[in-house]
Amino acid sequence: MAFGIGDLPRMISGPVGLASRLRSVTLALTFTVLLVMQAGSVQAQSNSIQELAAGLAGADFNETSRIVDQIAATGDSGAVPLLEALVAGDLYYRKSDNAIFIAERGGAGYLLTDPFSGAAAGEAGRRDVTKVRVNNSLRRDIRSALGGLTLMSTDADVRLDAASAILKSRDPEAIEALDQAIAAESDDGVKLVMERARAAAILNSDSDESTKIVAVETIAQKADQEARSILLAVAEEADGALRAAIDKAVASVEASLALWSTAQNIWYGLSLGSVLLLAAIGLAITFGVMGVINMAHGEMVMIGAYVTFLVQEVIRTQAPYLFDASLLIALPLAFVTAGLVGIAIEQGVIRFLYGRPLETLLATWGLSLILQQTVRTIFGPTNQEVGAPSWMSGAFELGGLTLTYGRVWIIVFALVTFACLVVVLRRTSLGLQMRAVTQNRRMAGSMGIRTTWTDALTFGLGSGIAGIAGVALSQIDNVSPNLGQSYIIDSFMVVVFGGVGNLWGTLVGALSLGVLNKFLEPYAGAVLGKILVLVFIILFIQKRPRGLFALKGRAVDQ
Amino acid sequence: MNTELTSAVLYLDDVSVSFDGFKALNALSFVVKHGEMRAIIGPNGAGKTTMMDVITGKTRPDVGTLLFDGSHDLTKLDEASIAQLGIGRKFQRPTVFESHTVRDNILLSLSGVRSVFTTLFSVTTKDERERIERLLERVKLSDAADRLAAELSHGQKQWLEIGMLLAQDPSLLLVDEPVAGMTDAETVQTATLLREIAKDHSVVVVEHDMSFVRDLDVMVTVLHEGSVLAEGSLDRVSADERVIDVYLGR
Amino acid sequence: MITKRLFEFTGLPGLLMLLALLVLAVYVPYANLVLEKGSAFHLDTSAVVLLGKYLCFAILALSIDLVWGYCGILSLGHGAFFALGGYAMGMHLMREIGTRGVYGDPILPDFMVFLNWEELPWFWYGFDQFWFAMVMVVLAPGSLAFVFGALAFRSRVTGVYLSIITQALTFALMLAFFRNEMGFGGNNGLTDFKDVLGFDLQAQSTRIGLYLLSILALIAAYVVCRLIVLSRLGKVLIAVRDAESRTRFIGYRVEHYKLFVWTVSAMMAGVAGALYVPQVGIINPGEFAPANSIEAVIWVAVGGRGTLVGAVIGGIGVNMGKSYFTGAIPELWLFALGGLFVFVTLFLPKGILGLLSNLKRKRAASEPDGPGTEPVKERA
Repeated sequence: MAFGIGDLPRMISGPVGLASRLRSVTLALTFTVLLVMQAGSVQAQSNSIQELAAGLAGADFNETSRIVDQIAATGDSGAVPLLEALVAGDLYYRKSDNAIFIAERGGAGYLLTDPFSGAAAGEAGRRDVTKVRVNNSLRRDIRSALGGLTLMSTDADVRLDAASAILKSRDPEAIEALDQAIAAESDDGVKLVMERARAAAILNSDSDESTKIVAVETIAQKADQEARSILLAVAEEADGALRAAIDKAVASVEASLALWSTAQNIWYGLSLGSVLLLAAIGLAITFGVMGVINMAHGEMVMIGAYVTFLVQEVIRTQAPYLFDASLLIALPLAFVTAGLVGIAIEQGVIRFLYGRPLETLLATWGLSLILQQTVRTIFGPTNQEVGAPSWMSGAFELGGLTLTYGRVWIIVFALVTFACLVVVLRRTSLGLQMRAVTQNRRMAGSMGIRTTWTDALTFGLGSGIAGIAGVALSQIDNVSPNLGQSYIIDSFMVVVFGGVGNLWGTLVGALSLGVLNKFLEPYAGAVLGKILVLVFIILFIQKRPRGLFALKGRAVDQ
Repeated sequence: MNTELTSAVLYLDDVSVSFDGFKALNALSFVVKHGEMRAIIGPNGAGKTTMMDVITGKTRPDVGTLLFDGSHDLTKLDEASIAQLGIGRKFQRPTVFESHTVRDNILLSLSGVRSVFTTLFSVTTKDERERIERLLERVKLSDAADRLAAELSHGQKQWLEIGMLLAQDPSLLLVDEPVAGMTDAETVQTATLLREIAKDHSVVVVEHDMSFVRDLDVMVTVLHEGSVLAEGSLDRVSADERVIDVYLGR
Repeated sequence: MITKRLFEFTGLPGLLMLLALLVLAVYVPYANLVLEKGSAFHLDTSAVVLLGKYLCFAILALSIDLVWGYCGILSLGHGAFFALGGYAMGMHLMREIGTRGVYGDPILPDFMVFLNWEELPWFWYGFDQFWFAMVMVVLAPGSLAFVFGALAFRSRVTGVYLSIITQALTFALMLAFFRNEMGFGGNNGLTDFKDVLGFDLQAQSTRIGLYLLSILALIAAYVVCRLIVLSRLGKVLIAVRDAESRTRFIGYRVEHYKLFVWTVSAMMAGVAGALYVPQVGIINPGEFAPANSIEAVIWVAVGGRGTLVGAVIGGIGVNMGKSYFTGAIPELWLFALGGLFVFVTLFLPKGILGLLSNLKRKRAASEPDGPGTEPVKERA
């Protein structure tokens, strides 16, 4: 069983019940737990290894060998620094009291360090301390003992750390211990790292060419920056077949790295695109389908984010165990709240302005100012803290990609929202009425559809979707009264770019603008990249005034 | 190519337009000779308005030849150039400049000054004023000359638009449903006016009103699904089996 | 005779406005310079500066009214032209500082020394000359408007689409000017000006001079607008506003007309910005904020679009209200402004001036107002 740091609080929160789930609190708690656990283990076992180590003072080779074996038998990784110092010849004992120290030349003679706590233990004169002596066969013993304590540890994380450390140091001396560990290893992931570490160590040793070539292949199997630097480091001294093998491996690693970095860029782009999609998707209804310019659209998003904040506040004080479900609870509430505000806006202002798009634009801008100021008056102008549930934090690796759960969920969420919307428009009677009213209001009215009611519901739907977008955006952006404003221009750009009145255009528009933005960033920087995208869209609209997926025909022209 | 045909005032050959797969015009060919008045009829969706759009440069044809006066390729020109060449268009729904007076509506339509800087510095000449008065008289709007166009009745707007068309002094007039929404008396008057206009202009009239078409007493082209179904005098086309099937009904 | 011609040119509201401006031109310097501090009618220099600011906003409002009221182009990016004019002026004032800056560099403005720049960027050349800066005040916004307009109008981008991309334009410029690398002082913009043409910007007399210049510029802008609006070109513009495609089918090349009036309007906004900067003493990228441009549109809507005089009334009136609110009850200002947007579009579509003329007509009219008097808009 392997537990990440992030899992610890969840493990203990079940029975105990954490009072607060603020991110910072969680973090602080994690540290506390770790410290307590560590302190406990030290307390429990320090006696034995310290007692054993005390015997090293003045011991001969045989005695030392026996003590090392005993220490290895405890399986206590607390002895690792002691053994490392011993094998390096840095372990001394003080003649006056036979106490064991790690000593380093400095000051008048030696600087002493306690081998268990790592704390400085003063200085000693050159004659006051004596080295614990080791010979070659003893060194081998110690190394295998070290390997046993780390590489053979029962804790997979410790083994992984040990293997990773060897991968970094590329110490040829570790090959033997690695061989043993690999043979015994049961965890595939750890085994892979060990094999890699072994290969790196072989490349650093004086093994024969064919062994090294096999090692090169092992290293190149996982194409990452580390593989590249390991190979480049040995390429200098290599020649002949080995050099050729290394060059080939480096080339393949680099090609695959480039591929992964493109993939990572696309991922970031899709991630940004899904944010744009979330912000624009409601607008695709109100602006795209109804033709209403709602400049207060961003404020609907903001309302959704504030609903999330309120839900979390209530959960925090009333029912902390529901925290992980807070976003799921907030979704319907945000939809309803923003939807109702939207319906109120439609009934109170917009319906008097149908057919006058420029006036609608101005009036809704005014509404956006009022909504912003209302929120500012109630909640204050500062950012509100919205926490992330545990299932949204953390990351995982996929090939050469690092994917954070938060981003993955937002992409999934954006696509699901989009799909739901398509289904609502295509398959429900409300969707049918909506399309009927927007295509031919008078005809729809004479068919018995209550057009004013349909208008209100359509607008409410668009606003409600903006609201649930706010729930998602509360996870990645500051929840402040200005939240909406930062999305309004982007959202309009997406809808216009994709083609007004075309939902699929909005999807493609959002994702492609997101990807374009992220591909420009490495060359132009974030701000300039954004400027370039805006300029691109401005030029694009000149070329295709009705967007990527424009509807053609006589009707659109009139 | 027959030069007699291509030198006609309007020559359409094999013109097609499609919107997202729907063929609004399908290999449409027809010719309007100098000084001719032609009526175009056809059911809804036959392509009448699209044809007008194509001739006036609002819509570009996918394929086909479109010649004006034998020498001007209309597929290469924009609306303004086509209008300046001498093709005037009256819309189905009367569109006049509502916040201008009737007189200013005519003034803006007068042939001549069109570029930005000449309009900026232009002063209305005596000659122009006289032309305006004559035109107002012809469309019977002299009394309403100083009223805003928005205040006119529907029929008056139709006439004002015809007056604006005449002010452009085009050699070809395209008139889309000129009597829609008019009283019977107004319809008759409009027919008379159009016949009078046809004396010194070529005119294409699109109309649904059969009695009005009969009043015009000109050659009729029947459009159906974007191409010509029949052509000839109204009596002849009304007797045509296919026309009866798709349009007139039995 | 002359008065009759003048009246024909300005109309009653225009004449009253011009008279009011003349009164202000005489009274304000008198109240500031001559009247004693203790007098009830004494005007503080800060009040003069505030008035000067309002006058610049009125010019900006006029420029918006010219394109929106008469040609139907709703620009949500006129603040960009205003700011560009302001930056052109600011660049001259920066160069004027010379060795009196904190770092005392004779050529480089302070912020460039601070950024360790070795040389003046090429686009700062010439701004040491007053005449050159004045040319750029109209040329910079003018050429941007020309290029943008040429592209947009040729492609027939109209209505809200145009509004939205003008907003994107000013937003992109704001982001750009926030960058230090652009060479316009980044976040802080241009400030710490000392003098203009040798006159100390802090001096009371210079303040009065700039104020009078603003009145003059406002009158000039009004006259230019009026000349355009009354010409046959003005009639074409209104025709475009009411029925764009009809105008095309009569043979007018609509994009040329739009481009002309758009460019003139941008230049006018640039002049407003250039007068604004020495009076407030700073220009920074915040002036490009889309919200500023939209706020300017509401001035015109409040006063009554398509009236010119209404734009001036709105530009001055709304800003007086803003000064009052933000001083007295700052939390309420955004409520008031937002409410103004909603109220005017719903209940006062023709603005204050439209309301007045409606009242007048109702009193005088023998016929009742038909519903047809509303100009019918082409759908975007």
